Amino acid sequence: MTQLVELRDRYHIFEEVGIKLYAISYDDQEALKQFSDAYDIPYPMLSDVDSEVIKAYGILNTQIKPGDALLYGIPYPGTYITDENGIVIEKSFFDTYKRRMSAEQMVDRAVGEVLLRGEEPTADVSDDEGIKVSATLHGGAIKQGSQREVIVRFDLPDGLHIYGEPVPEGMIPTTVSVEGPEGLVVEELIAPPTERLYLSSLDLELPVWSGQVDFRVPVYATSTLASECRPVDDDEITLTVTVKYQACDDAVCLLPKEEKIELVVPLEPVHVQSIALHTGHGQREAPYDGMPAVKRLMARKIKQSPLGFVRYLLNAARLSLAARRRSKGPR
Amino acid sequence: MVVETDHHGFEAPAALGHPGRAGLPEGASTGPDIGERLPDFELPDANGHIVRFHHDRGTSKAAVVFYRSAVW
Repeated sequence: MTQLVELRDRYHIFEEVGIKLYAISYDDQEALKQFSDAYDIPYPMLSDVDSEVIKAYGILNTQIKPGDALLYGIPYPGTYITDENGIVIEKSFFDTYKRRMSAEQMVDRAVGEVLLRGEEPTADVSDDEGIKVSATLHGGAIKQGSQREVIVRFDLPDGLHIYGEPVPEGMIPTTVSVEGPEGLVVEELIAPPTERLYLSSLDLELPVWSGQVDFRVPVYATSTLASECRPVDDDEITLTVTVKYQACDDAVCLLPKEEKIELVVPLEPVHVQSIALHTGHGQREAPYDGMPAVKRLMARKIKQSPLGFVRYLLNAARLSLAARRRSKGPR
Repeated sequence: MVVETDHHGFEAPAALGHPGRAGLPEGASTGPDIGERLPDFELPDANGHIVRFHHDRGTSKAAVVFYRSAVW
């Protein structure tokens, strides 16, 4: 749900570059209509009510049994990006449903470059040689469930390059790292492809970057930092970006540099449905009563498997009891 | 409700072990692969209009997002 609202807020970036956006779930059309109207959703919300497309794609969540009322029929959440011919050029599925691709990641992967629009939190450093390094939180505020990317962009004056690995002894390869507060997971750096630079004086070919170079560092918040089960503690956090590099032209190298950039970024609560399961945690609730849709879903699932529904309730009660015991028992 | 944290570090309004908290198992199918044409589909939107994916897309690039539910 947080993702659907985020995609609404960022829909213009899809429009800017002419990318069509579709969202598919097993919800009935009436529920989608209510959601779509209440949130003013500008993209099509498609109703795969019997999960036929979800099954045909092979992404049905098979850990949920047909008897698991309410839930059976949902997919493993994920995203496909296609080119103009409908060929998949990127897909994104995570091992936890709490991680989702951001709108910016979708658009960037579709166009094949990082599009910064000058409207996101950013900080930069420049040196005397005219080398500028900026760090930008790409994709808006950090919140549970949404992946973000810290974009570390080098702007190198003409003629200068920085090194990828491997470099010969004595030369400094470029490194980029991001640190955040506890609960922020920082994933492995994604570097753009290097160019090959041939140095005739040394008869060496070296991997380098020149011009504008975008390093991407995916980050996401776990519940230590932002949970859907309680309000967020702070409304902003600070990320520290450290870059080390050595810039050279074809003849000489400048001194190696280490720079630290402090980037303050907003932290936000998620959106949740106004149903008993979610409310009361201080999060942003839905602007309408979600119970009628839940009841319709229950009716549909009871009809499909009455016994399964009973088993589901019993299982949920058993798990909830076990959780209560764990919370009271010794750790 | 007791709120429990899973091994990924996430809390959810359901007990650990609840099927609703199950993630994608290692090696599980994630559907059509990069390089394949995304299989066509025909589904109604919120207003009941039938959307045929490749026809509707025309010659545009597309992002197709599968999500769990807008109800819960």
